[in-house]
Amino acid sequence: MSDAQGLFILSAIRALAPLALALVSLAAVPLVSAERFGPSRLAATRARYLVVALLLLSGGAAFVAGAGVTSTFSIGEMSINPSQPGRLLVALGGPIFATIVSVGEGRRAGAMGQVALFGLAVIDIALAIPIGIAPIALLLVAGTSLAALAAGGKEDAERARAVFRDLRSAGVLITLTVVAELLRSAIPLSATDPTYATTASLTAGVALLLSLIVLTSIGAFPFHHRLVRIFDSLPIVGSLIVGVWIPAAITLIILSELSLLISAVREPIGGAILPILVATGAFTMLFGGLSALLHDDVGEVLGFFAVGSSGWLALGLAAVIIRPSTLAPHELVVPATLVISLFGIWRAAIRRRYDLVSLQDLTGWARHTSAIGLVLVGVILATIALPGGALWSARAEVIGASANVITVVAALASAAALVAAVLRVLLVGLSQKSREVERTQVRRVTHPVTVAMLAGTLLIAGAASGVIDVGSAASELLRPAPDATVVPGDLP
Amino acid sequence: MNGFSLELPLTIIATLGAALTVTSARRGAWIALIIAVTAVALLEFHPTDTVPLTLVLRLAAIYGAILVALPPGLLTPRALIHDLAPRRIATTLTEHPVVAATAVAGLLLGAIPLALPIEGSSTLLRSAGVAMLLIGLPPLLTSRYVEATARAAVVTLSGALLLRGAILGPLDALSSLVIAGGFAALLLTGTAVAGQLTKAEEA
Repeated sequence: MSDAQGLFILSAIRALAPLALALVSLAAVPLVSAERFGPSRLAATRARYLVVALLLLSGGAAFVAGAGVTSTFSIGEMSINPSQPGRLLVALGGPIFATIVSVGEGRRAGAMGQVALFGLAVIDIALAIPIGIAPIALLLVAGTSLAALAAGGKEDAERARAVFRDLRSAGVLITLTVVAELLRSAIPLSATDPTYATTASLTAGVALLLSLIVLTSIGAFPFHHRLVRIFDSLPIVGSLIVGVWIPAAITLIILSELSLLISAVREPIGGAILPILVATGAFTMLFGGLSALLHDDVGEVLGFFAVGSSGWLALGLAAVIIRPSTLAPHELVVPATLVISLFGIWRAAIRRRYDLVSLQDLTGWARHTSAIGLVLVGVILATIALPGGALWSARAEVIGASANVITVVAALASAAALVAAVLRVLLVGLSQKSREVERTQVRRVTHPVTVAMLAGTLLIAGAASGVIDVGSAASELLRPAPDATVVPGDLP
Repeated sequence: MNGFSLELPLTIIATLGAALTVTSARRGAWIALIIAVTAVALLEFHPTDTVPLTLVLRLAAIYGAILVALPPGLLTPRALIHDLAPRRIATTLTEHPVVAATAVAGLLLGAIPLALPIEGSSTLLRSAGVAMLLIGLPPLLTSRYVEATARAAVVTLSGALLLRGAILGPLDALSSLVIAGGFAALLLTGTAVAGQLTKAEEA
């Protein structure tokens, strides 16, 4: 096989593997659930094994085919350009969702695995295609569709209402995306006639609209209600894909776009946008952290924890507008996604073992099931991160960009509140065992699911805290800055 | 299609269709939506000698989704004649004067040039786009009914696309594909969620 053929195959695998594996699951999951492959009572187990294998393959394909291959795969007139952040999210997302599906078990594990497979495939494609309406619209539409799929199969009004909220948000946000793209496309033309809007005002308008899209999709205050309801009512895989992973991909696209847009404008374009973003970021962190500390329902605790974490991204938007060359906000996206996902693994494990949602009923859970307790310890360590590491520098840069003492104090207080919220859940687990917890059967530590959960915890906590260096891959712009040198190997 | 001769009637049909989509009862709303999206697609893609694939794709996605969303037996010739009767349309609009006034205001507002470099912009397309945005946005933000919200989302997004098309022309193939899928997904998700809510409330 020639080098060109090898490169072509690797590009094809890289570009299409996650989507191909997701499509394979559509036929394979019903097939393995059929009676000819074993008794019907084990159909859900077979489907679970299959989707876990497909998720691991998806992550593996993105990891292996992507390494060192910076080529573009062309299908007709459409080109799919492998992107570092897309590859990273799929490479990490595959094993993470495989762990969650394994730990969550359950009757709908196969369907949840399919939701994860399609979610990762959409993220991969959206981060690989050229900038414009398509990637953001694709992610928004996929988010709503996957929320509906995750909510299906159960006549639960709360679930349906959560999807309804998501549908409404998607309708508004796709419209905003079209308007933002309209203004963005008008920027190069604005120089032709001084009687029309100036370049700076058009860029400010685009920045405002794009920021609004990010704030709404990540669940920053006052748009947090949708995210909390998603975590409270949808299954954990659906919650994480719709509420965390897809918004993370949208954030990476928009941070990249804002960096390029604003660096091309000489005048400062902050205006009224900056104080709003800084105040929103600081308040969201504080609000999310305190709310997570005060709520009793584990779904709501996780939802508010996600809201609090999204405050960092809102501050990141402000930092990009102030210093478009900074890559610090990009470095915050993946760790935040990983920490919430690890908390999601904890929730899936607690739900599977105890089937309880109230912390009052869950007293003593960590004493009874110490392996699940270790997952929460991992969440705490990942939230704090490695002192002096890249994540701390990125956080310091993002807070410092606002140059506001109130923001610094609010960010520190709310970061402490987020850690305290998780610590409180752990302390509840270390207290006297409740009757429900006491009578729950314990699984041995050497059980494959427990081993997978602990291995996943080590991987995610290590990556999120900065012990394993994965963040750097997502800290690049999705497309090169106009003045950047193009490496010949990058060309199709 | 002769663009100059058909732009005005299509603009009126699109705006009227959008207004009826958000004001009519269930069947009438679906019929109005079909008419509105067809007019919008023709205005946006402006077919002349050949029919662009992107136009076919857009209409196929929306028609397909509406066919799935519609309860069986609802789209009959008698229903069409009943819902499209001028008297019926006039009654519906007079019952919702705010929406009718919004449509007119949108058309007038869209006729005023925006503070954008719009040398190539079409006034009629811009008017229809602004009118549809103004008609669709309030029910999209406030409606308590899932299917009505999904239809309002389609109207609003169509308006935004028309406004964009007025200045920048039709979408590229990839964005067009995604948006066509988006229209279908919004309508199908709306129908699925409405069904799920009804079942849950009945249970």
